[in-house]
Amino acid sequence: MKMALESEYSPDADRIMAVSLGPQHPGAGHFRIRLWLDGDYVVKALPDAGYVHRGEEKMGEYRNYIQNVPHLERPVILDSSNILFAYSLGVDELMNSKIPPRGQYLRVIMSEINRIISHMYFIAIQGLFLGHTTMITWCMGDRDFWIDLGERIAGARVTFAYIIPGGVRNDIPDFAIEKGLKTCDWFEKRMDEYEKIFYDNPMVHQRSDGVGVLSRDDAIAFGATGTVARASGLALDVRKDEPYSSYQDFEFKTPVLTQGDSWARAYVALLDMRESVKIIRQALKGLPQGPVRLKLGPQPRVPAGEVYSRTEAARGEMSYYIVSDGSPRPYRLKIGVPSAKNLRALPHLLRNVHVADIPVIYWSLNYWPVEADR
Amino acid sequence: MVVAGGQKAGTFQVLVGKIDDVLQYAIGDPLRYLANWGRLYSLWPVHLETACCSVEVGAAAGSRFDIERFGTLEAFGSLRACDLIIVMGTVTRKLAPRLKLIYDQMAEPKWVIAMGACSITGGLYFDSYNVLRGIDDIIPVDVYVPGCPPRAEALIQGIVLLQEKIRRMPTLSGR
Repeated sequence: MKMALESEYSPDADRIMAVSLGPQHPGAGHFRIRLWLDGDYVVKALPDAGYVHRGEEKMGEYRNYIQNVPHLERPVILDSSNILFAYSLGVDELMNSKIPPRGQYLRVIMSEINRIISHMYFIAIQGLFLGHTTMITWCMGDRDFWIDLGERIAGARVTFAYIIPGGVRNDIPDFAIEKGLKTCDWFEKRMDEYEKIFYDNPMVHQRSDGVGVLSRDDAIAFGATGTVARASGLALDVRKDEPYSSYQDFEFKTPVLTQGDSWARAYVALLDMRESVKIIRQALKGLPQGPVRLKLGPQPRVPAGEVYSRTEAARGEMSYYIVSDGSPRPYRLKIGVPSAKNLRALPHLLRNVHVADIPVIYWSLNYWPVEADR
Repeated sequence: MVVAGGQKAGTFQVLVGKIDDVLQYAIGDPLRYLANWGRLYSLWPVHLETACCSVEVGAAAGSRFDIERFGTLEAFGSLRACDLIIVMGTVTRKLAPRLKLIYDQMAEPKWVIAMGACSITGGLYFDSYNVLRGIDDIIPVDVYVPGCPPRAEALIQGIVLLQEKIRRMPTLSGR
């Protein structure tokens, strides 16, 4: 590799230095970027993923549809409900089951709570990489209030395993509804403070304005989804394009920015959270009565067939392709994750940037290696 | 008292032995205690995220749980200055050689916390083709913190247990 590169840059071959960033590096957890540097500038960058490849798809083939629930939420532990949401939608469609309205609303509530938890982690670490210690301290502390709310509903701290095929695992207790509404009111005020201290901060603007710009055409070419696509001017949102599980009942917008730089990608996350709070409040107030799930039994019979299901996860479009041959286990389980889609843009974004900007650009893609490696 | 060579000890050797014991009690033990006391409240972890448990480490380092008040510093810095690895979850075949390399690069004395079911036995991924069934095979583990993922409180308890172990470390030089 080094030889090829040296011939590629033959006039200045001595100037090029190959550096490995990660997997043990504060700016790159469970992930490595191979860098070729010319002084302080990056000449070429190649992401080296696969440090957390755990064979989720193969494991899915020798567990039945209910046993698949716990291990399928681990790849994206920050956003555990949304990855199960897509899986559950797929299995529901294969079984042709109609989810009760209360179950659908609870799915939406949990999915949006997880979106906030995931975005809070994202902007916390973005603040850390920009040298903004206040942001990581605030966000990691405030994130725990949402985790507490999820714990009151589902019973676990981060791995909720709440959305399962056939509905949700248990009903929401009354005190969690009160707590949820209070958390929504408090969090809206809190987000104004984030804007003041982080997004309007001149230091943050200097470090991230115009850094790692992904144009609209490039975003289409690389197949970007989620926050990355919406920061580049693409109004992609599965919740709007193809409403699933009663998302059509709620009023919310799809925030779109046009700058396409690191700042915009972090700001879209905040705008997303504002919409999520609106959805949670509407869903908690208008929660219909009735059962929350269908009785499926421990080993549901799934008819033969194939299905492609997708949801809007915190990072973008989460999709499943499930093939069933009528046996208790899936014949094939393909997971399409947003992180892997957004990673394609990284070598393009890391060209001719300062070394100090690498963590900012890398993390602004909202890339979660465990999710991308499956 | 019998000294090396099988002869009966003279008064001089007895005296030297006594002075040795006294020195051990008067200087050696306080020195060991002092060194271990310094070590146990300034644990510096390596920033090596192996899998999803890193989220709970992040929460534990956040402002709600704040493991720094128990004497664990932030996970930033050079490997030569680090003395603790928290193995945060699943170790795959690709990561295992790097984990061993990182452990070998650290200076003695050094400790290992295996966090999460995956790093103890393989956990949920025990039958996966790419996952190690526990990290004991490649590096020695001092404290196991079970859970999937362990709560932040469990990680704090693991660190307190490790500090108890360091406090009772019998030698000055480590292992």
